Amino acid sequence: MRDVPKKISIEEWDKRYCELSASGMQQPAYGGPLRRHVGDGDLRLLKLRYDNSAASLHLWNFLLTEEERLYQARDEGKKIVGVMKDLGTIPVMAYSLPDVVAFYPDGAWWIPCVMELSAGLLGIADSLGIDESFCPVRAMLGAFVTGSHFPKTDLLVCSVGATCDDFSAIAQRLNGLGYPILWWEIPSRRHPDPGERAIHLPGGFSAPESQVAFVKSELQRVRVALETLTGNRLDDAALSEGIKMANQFRSLLSQLRELTFNAEVCPVPALEMLIAEMFAIHFCSDRDEAIRVLKGLLSEVQSRVKAGKGVLGTDAVRVFWMNPVADLRVMELLEQCGGRVCGTEYLFCHALDEIPEGVAPMEALARMALADPMVGSSGDRAARICSDIRKFGAEAMVISRIPGASHCAVEGGVIGDIVRAKLGIPVLEIEVPPVSDSIESSLRNRLEALMETVKERRKRCTVRA
Amino acid sequence: MYCAGIDAGSRAIKILLIDTDSLEIIASGVADQGKEHDALSRELFERILKDNGLKREDISRIVATGYARNNVSISDTTITEITCHARGVCHLVPDAKTVIEIGGQDSKVLRLDGQGAVRDFAMNDRCAAGTGRFLEVVAAHLGVELQELGEMRSRSLKPAAISSMCVVFAETEIFGLLASGTAPEDIVAGIQAAVAARVCALVGRNVTAPIIFTGGVAMISGMADALESVFGQPVSTAPDPQMTGALGAAILACRQRRDGVDTL
Repeated sequence: MRDVPKKISIEEWDKRYCELSASGMQQPAYGGPLRRHVGDGDLRLLKLRYDNSAASLHLWNFLLTEEERLYQARDEGKKIVGVMKDLGTIPVMAYSLPDVVAFYPDGAWWIPCVMELSAGLLGIADSLGIDESFCPVRAMLGAFVTGSHFPKTDLLVCSVGATCDDFSAIAQRLNGLGYPILWWEIPSRRHPDPGERAIHLPGGFSAPESQVAFVKSELQRVRVALETLTGNRLDDAALSEGIKMANQFRSLLSQLRELTFNAEVCPVPALEMLIAEMFAIHFCSDRDEAIRVLKGLLSEVQSRVKAGKGVLGTDAVRVFWMNPVADLRVMELLEQCGGRVCGTEYLFCHALDEIPEGVAPMEALARMALADPMVGSSGDRAARICSDIRKFGAEAMVISRIPGASHCAVEGGVIGDIVRAKLGIPVLEIEVPPVSDSIESSLRNRLEALMETVKERRKRCTVRA
Repeated sequence: MYCAGIDAGSRAIKILLIDTDSLEIIASGVADQGKEHDALSRELFERILKDNGLKREDISRIVATGYARNNVSISDTTITEITCHARGVCHLVPDAKTVIEIGGQDSKVLRLDGQGAVRDFAMNDRCAAGTGRFLEVVAAHLGVELQELGEMRSRSLKPAAISSMCVVFAETEIFGLLASGTAPEDIVAGIQAAVAARVCALVGRNVTAPIIFTGGVAMISGMADALESVFGQPVSTAPDPQMTGALGAAILACRQRRDGVDTL
C-alpha cells in the first residue's frame, strides 16, 4: 500500500492510471486503463466508484477481459466448456485437464447492467418466450443467440434438479434452440433418515450417503464427457491436483473475506469484494491468473489492515448481504448511505469452502456440490447466514431480491424471519433490477433508514452501558 | 427557541414547529405538494412563521423528512420518514410497539423497541397498491372525494372481493363491478380491505400491540377498521396522523441541537 486508500470515479482513475504507470506499475497482458472498457460498451462503469489500488485495477481488468481471453483460448485450439448453473463444481474438473477453459455463461446476467441494456439481450429473451417473469439470467439466451459475448462452446454442461427452476427453464429453451446440453442432476439435499449413514459436507451440513453416491455418479458422466471432448484421461491424480489448486484460490479468498469483513476500518469496497468472490465459481476463465489477481488484492488488503487504513469511515454500519445484486451500483449505494459489507451469501457459499482433500476426488466434489445453498432447505441456508453474521459482527442484513427469480420470492422472507428471531437484528428486503436508476431514491431511502435504525440502536446500547 | 420538522411527502408538505425545551407544538401547516418541492416548502415555512409572528432566527434547527426531503434547501439535515414517524408516534403514544404508516406513495410497518427506536421495518415495493394513491384512483373512478370513502364503507352490506392489487388492473375490476351492479359502497369496502391486506402482507399478522396508524391515509375513516380486521388486533389512529412525520423530525431536530450533532 503506497497511497491512501479511497474510492474514486473513472475520471479519477484516468489520472491515477497515468500516475501508477509512471511509477512503474507492472501490468499483465490484459492491463490498461479502466476507461477502455467503456469503449467496449460497458457504460455502467461511468457510474461506479472504484478502489484506487493497482490490485483492484488488475481485478477489474481481469474481469472485463474475459471475453478476449475466451476468444484467445479458442484461437489457441483449447476446448471451451460452458458450465451452467453449477456454481463451482465442474470448473474444478475442467481445469484439471490440459488445454480446457471453463466459463460461466450464466455470468451474462450482468451484461444488461454493465452495458445498461444497450446489448438488447433481455429483448431477445423476451422474443424467445422467456420474459421478465424469469430471472435476469435469461440474458444468457440473448448472449448465445447473438454470439457476441463469448465464443461457441465445445461442450455445455448444466446442473438441473434442485438448483433453480428459472434456470432450468431457460437452459431447456437454449437446448431447444439447438445448443446441446449435458445435464447432470443434483437432488434436493435432505437430512439423513434414522439408520442412514450421514456424510458430513463442507459448510457444516450433512446428507445421506446415498445422495452423495448419486451425485458422484452424475459427476462421473461429466468426467467421461470431458475426457471424450479432450481425448485425455481425467485421472484421480489430475483431479486431486485440480482440487488442490481450487483450494488454493478458496483459501486466499477465505483469508480476504476474514480480513475485510472483520477489519475495524473497511479496507476494500464491497464491489471489489463481490467480484473477487465471483471468481470462485469459475476463475474468470483462467484459474492460475485468478489466483495471481486474488493474491495481489489480498496483499493490498493485508497492508491496509495492518496500517489501519480503509475506504470508508470507522462508523460504517456493518451489513450482511444476501444474494448477488443485478445492478452492481447498489453495492456502491450501500456505502454511500453509510454501510459496509461484513459478510455475504451470494448463493454459492459452497464454492468458498475448501473441497475435502482427505477423500477420493470425485467423492470430495460430490460432497461439495451437495453443500450448494440452493439445493438445501431455507433453514440450512439461514443457519449458515446466522453463523456468518455472528462471525463477522454484522449489525443488519440486506436481502437483495432478484426480480423474477423464483427462489427469491419466498426464501428471502423465510430467512429474514429466522435472522430476526435468532439474532434480533434489523433485516431489509429490497429488489434490485439490472439497471436500478429509476428506483434509486426508493432504494436509497430504505438503505438510509436501515443505517439510521442501526445507529440509533448503537446509541441506546452506549447509553445503557 | 424553536425547532422545525418538515415532512415533504409525495402528496403534501407538512411543517411543524416545537419549543426546543418543552417539545410543545407551537405551530403547524400543510400544503399540497407539487413539482417545486423546495419553493413550496419554503413558502409554507415562511407563511407559518409570519402567521405566528416568528422570524427565521427564532428557528434554531430544521430537519426535513419524507420523499422529497433532499430537495428542501432550508433544512439543516435530513432523516428518513421511518425514523421520524417512529419518533413522532412515540412522543404521542410512548408505549407504541408497532406503527403502520400509509402515505401517498408508499406504506410501511415499523416495529418499535418500546423506547422510541425502530427495531425493524418493512416497506411496500415499487407499487401503488397499499398506498394512498390507490385510494385516490378508486375515489376518482367512483366520482367521490377521498374523505367520503369512510362513510361509504360504513354503508356497505357486502364488501366486494377485489382480486387484483395492481392499480391499473383494479381500475378495470372496478369498472366491471360497477357494470355488474355492485354498489359503490361495497366496492369501497372491498378496496379498503384489499389495501389493509396488502399492508398486513408486509409483516404478517404477528405484530405487537399497541398498533398505531399514522400518515395521510389514516385520516380516511374506515381504514383503521379495515386494518383491525386483517391484523386481528386493535389499531389506534395517531392524533393528527398526517403530522406525525413532521413532529418526529422536529423532535429529532431538538435532540440534535441539544447534543450538538449534525446527524442521528
